[in-house]
Amino acid sequence: MEPFVQNLILGLLLGGVYALVASGLTLIFGVMRVINIAHGAFLILGAFVSYTVWNWLGFDPLLCIIATTPVIFAIGWVVYRVIVSPIRDAPMSSTVLLTFGLALVLEAVMGFIWGNNSTSVRPSYADESFTIGELFLPKAQVYGGLIAIVVLVALHLLLTRTWLGRAIRAAASNPTGAQLVGITISSVAALVFAIGIATAGAGGAIAAILYPFVPGSHYQWIARLLAIVVLGGLGSMGGAVLGAVMFGIAETMTAAYISPAWATAVPYAIVFAVLLVRPQGLLGTKLRDDAVAA
Amino acid sequence: MAPLLHLGRRARSGITLAAVAGLALAACGVGGGDDGSSSDDSSGPITIGASLPLTGEFSQPGQAAKQGYEVWREMVNADGGLLGRQVNLTIKDDASNQNTIVADYNALISQDQVDLLLGTFSSLLNLPASSVAEKNQMLYVEPAGGSPEMFTRGYKYLFFTQQAPVDRQGEVFANWITQLPENERPTTAAYPTLDDPFAIPTSQGIEDILAKNGVKTVYRETYAIDTKNFDTIANEIKAADPDLVVNGAIFEDGVGLIRSMLKADFAPQWLYQSTAPSLGAQYADAIGAQNTEGVMFAISHAPEAKTPGNPEFVAKYQEMFGGLPPEDAADAYASGQVLQAAIEGVGSIDDQAALADWLRDNQVETILGPLSWDENGSPEGDFLIGQWQDGQVEYVLPNDVATTDHIVMGWKPGDAS
Repeated sequence: MEPFVQNLILGLLLGGVYALVASGLTLIFGVMRVINIAHGAFLILGAFVSYTVWNWLGFDPLLCIIATTPVIFAIGWVVYRVIVSPIRDAPMSSTVLLTFGLALVLEAVMGFIWGNNSTSVRPSYADESFTIGELFLPKAQVYGGLIAIVVLVALHLLLTRTWLGRAIRAAASNPTGAQLVGITISSVAALVFAIGIATAGAGGAIAAILYPFVPGSHYQWIARLLAIVVLGGLGSMGGAVLGAVMFGIAETMTAAYISPAWATAVPYAIVFAVLLVRPQGLLGTKLRDDAVAA
Repeated sequence: MAPLLHLGRRARSGITLAAVAGLALAACGVGGGDDGSSSDDSSGPITIGASLPLTGEFSQPGQAAKQGYEVWREMVNADGGLLGRQVNLTIKDDASNQNTIVADYNALISQDQVDLLLGTFSSLLNLPASSVAEKNQMLYVEPAGGSPEMFTRGYKYLFFTQQAPVDRQGEVFANWITQLPENERPTTAAYPTLDDPFAIPTSQGIEDILAKNGVKTVYRETYAIDTKNFDTIANEIKAADPDLVVNGAIFEDGVGLIRSMLKADFAPQWLYQSTAPSLGAQYADAIGAQNTEGVMFAISHAPEAKTPGNPEFVAKYQEMFGGLPPEDAADAYASGQVLQAAIEGVGSIDDQAALADWLRDNQVETILGPLSWDENGSPEGDFLIGQWQDGQVEYVLPNDVATTDHIVMGWKPGDAS
């Protein structure tokens, strides 16, 4: 029983980090219908910014999130205004290709600034664990998971308890109606994009202390993140969290009870299986046009 | 919370496109630049083409290999060039991707029309790249593709410029382990290994020797190349409680496994890893210098070695890039030396088959020591075994080339000063 509980804990901690990053991706899609392929690249950008602050100033990389998140938020806002906004009303395929290109550009820029050598952020607690009996809880994952929970709760409160959140939800569910009641859709979209990128940046700061990274590491992240948000139901914050936790647990349980060789493949198989039964994802909503033959 | 957006059929079509794009991202790479162009003029510069993983998973050794090639070019040109002609390099970036590297080598041959080729890093990438070279009947001297699969295809233009193929990389270490006194010899071993044509035969070769000598295998698993989280694997290894862990690794995975073992508060008596520990300061930074004490690994090059040309290579590397050259830079430099020896031996670059025949018939002195090959281009020597001691790499085996007679008896994380 103990090994199972240990692997479950490791899966939950892994899922927590996935949830934080995936929430931004699904938020951006939910409001803007933009599938941000560059989301993983922004995560790695957050990791490099965190590394720079830690390396130069010696500040704790997790505490640095307070300082680095506004920076990544600002970058996200500028990127939206300059690059994404002009084609926001274009077909979804255009925004996919645009953010695909953006990911490649970001990778090249990061390689130019920080180089393509593997980078690690190792605060004093990076390789330490809390122990409860025979169980171990890696400190970095625990701290990262707690930060992910705080950010996700803050995001939830922002969306459900504030006027800005109402504006965001109104813009997501009925843009025309939202405009009629005075909501400026373009401003809301810019804010949402920046918030989404900021969550990727915060996730990057956490990922930086968990895994070594290079500019090209975003390839691994975006594949996982797309699978998670599709599993949860694109546009659903709760679905992203649920999908992330399921994905994390599936990875660890596969590594433990099937084979590490299948640890990255089995979660995708689960995604396929779920989509066969629920094409809209776990918490996505099925609409009438889904029932209409193409 | 309710979904922010209800998705229709058209939206899901976009999602499908996004998923395809995501997969394409994982499968594609970015083309690289070049610093030269081919010339048909027999008195003009000789252009040598290569594609290296300058970005992506293998960017760490790929960048080092590029440095090695560049040092070789600088030294050759300063010495009058090859056959009196200056050497230009055309180096592309394959982004650690098998599809991209095929496109790159095809482009080097058909579009850039380079005169000669040099190889890339890792068996994973050299396998397809060497096929392109063989198909075009071009000599393919490569620094880092030692998987046995490389040499079972009957290729005539392929030559690997390290001391031995990877299934024999840990042979010296494994034989040394079997000769330890009984009270120091491990009785159980675990073999977590990257799913990679280099890493698998490396750990398999060690397991074969140890298993024959009574070291029981208690864990053998391969993990996928995109594995990021090693906590579960470390936990499973800890549960198996081996005396020795042999990790067939490249770099990030090796670092990840060690950090996860530390988090799981598990330190086996002995730790052997492939590749990662040979990357010097980058390895120490990644796992913490204090945790390197006693880690053992196979290595092809020692900066301190007195092999012909090695002091000059180390000095030039320091001048161009600073610090001591990593192993992958030295291996790439040795590839250049081998190519140079063949060209000077034949006296022409026109007949690539003649260059290959010359290499099969001759031994070449390199900074790695003398290299010779069998008919399939597989080298016939022995690797050095290195060990981290007090935050530095020492070469401990074989005895005749060791830089110290002291061997730290086991992995002792936290002990290095």
